[in-house]
Amino acid sequence: MKRRLFVASSLSALGLTACGPVKESLTNGPFRNVLLSTEKLNHGVIGTHGLAREYREADIDRNFRVNGLDTPSDATYAALSKGRFREYRLVVDGLVDRPQTLSLAELRAAGDRTQITRHDCVEGWSAIGKWRGAPLGTVLATAQPKTTARYCVFHCFDADQSGERYYESLDLHEAAHPQTLLALDLNDKPLDDDHGAPVRLKIPTQLGYKSAKWVQRIELVADLTPVGGGSGGYWEDQGYEWYAGI
Amino acid sequence: MTSEASVEAFSGGRTEVRGERVYRHDVVARTTHWVWALAILVLVMSGLQIFNAAPYLDASDKSNPARRVLAFGAVTVDGQPVRVTSVFGHRFTSARVADTAPLSDVRAFPEWATLPGEQDLADGRRWHLLFAWVLFVAWLAYLVSQGIRGKLRELVMRPADFKKLVPMQLYYCRLRKEPPPYGTYNPLQKLTYNVVLFVMFPLLIITGLALSPGIDSAIPWLTPILGGRQFARTWHFLLMALLIGYFATHLFLVITTGMWNNMRSMITGWFVLGEHDGVGP
Repeated sequence: MKRRLFVASSLSALGLTACGPVKESLTNGPFRNVLLSTEKLNHGVIGTHGLAREYREADIDRNFRVNGLDTPSDATYAALSKGRFREYRLVVDGLVDRPQTLSLAELRAAGDRTQITRHDCVEGWSAIGKWRGAPLGTVLATAQPKTTARYCVFHCFDADQSGERYYESLDLHEAAHPQTLLALDLNDKPLDDDHGAPVRLKIPTQLGYKSAKWVQRIELVADLTPVGGGSGGYWEDQGYEWYAGI
Repeated sequence: MTSEASVEAFSGGRTEVRGERVYRHDVVARTTHWVWALAILVLVMSGLQIFNAAPYLDASDKSNPARRVLAFGAVTVDGQPVRVTSVFGHRFTSARVADTAPLSDVRAFPEWATLPGEQDLADGRRWHLLFAWVLFVAWLAYLVSQGIRGKLRELVMRPADFKKLVPMQLYYCRLRKEPPPYGTYNPLQKLTYNVVLFVMFPLLIITGLALSPGIDSAIPWLTPILGGRQFARTWHFLLMALLIGYFATHLFLVITTGMWNNMRSMITGWFVLGEHDGVGP
């Protein structure tokens, strides 16, 4: 019995030390494709149904936590911010019949929706904010997307330390969801620079990293693979799921 | 009624006796058992990886430090990073972190306990979401196959089993000479397996799904009945801790009640009956 216990404990000790390389080879080996495939299953099963819960004024976090990075260091952005975004224009182009260049006033006139929704970060925390802006679907409609357009890509002012541009994307189904906003206000005030001024995406049916900040240009495309790293977004290129509904 | 008479009455003509070899676990039961074991290992380790990204739990819907149940963190004491664990606001300062790494690098759960080992939320999520499916499918396969074969009857708690729980516990505590008569599984085994299979597995899946903003939009009543999203996260973590507790107990009993017989029955299916096995319903 003692010998058996010794064998068993030696084997488990060996198992623990071999764990690091084993975990590494499993994560990055041929098994990786299996790991990546679950996303399609989850997208199919969970998808985007119904509306995100909307909360009361009393539930709002007045100091809404900043997700992702803070104020971009981009020179163009700094200049725009200094001029309080009077010179800012949102470009909507790509596979559209009528490319748009919208000022903030024009964007506010395009549509008006206010929603108090919960922001669920991929890290695990949640915060509740009051978002006001134009529904993305309404803005896209003014540009009249071509029938070949399947996705909208959000090109942002931000870049990481290695110069990699921040971008995100949604398919046109998610873009047309009534709660998918191009938000201009957070908690009754225009967005500040840390929270994505002057325009950010707010999509409460998916995790926070989909809600791209500092949107500069919306490009309609048929295929995401030629854009950026090819996975549909900055975080997606780092291994996160494009479908962030779970 | 004497205890001998009751044994006879319950045994209902069964002839299983001590020392007899019986084919206890069919191939589906054995396979799903080991698939669960693997899935739970992966789910716990990748779950701890995910937890490390926000190493605190709140009993609330949105994050709320005033309702914090558990938090892992680090503070600097005399220029050294020191681990701090808070339970319901009570702070416990633990052992010093060996190196003087920046505070942000201090992890709640160490590398050996997480999948992947290094801090990698994206891959941790991939592992977790894949093996959640593996666990779910194996659970369903087990219930359907055992249901069709009529084997679930041996496992599901019946009213008569509840009366046997105390005598069985007394027997385990050596305060009673004989266990109450039982069939394939003793009443405490039945209760434990029933709690794990019919309560913990479903609750783990439900509390996990309640964290999904997609599910919260599609099934808007689910997250609120759990107390909100952060509360669901807390339940999910607590259930994980209970499952580890179950696993430790399971392992202890497997080893102490005839390890090789138990292991063989879960590998080949063949089990050698003990003195008390299979004499009752």
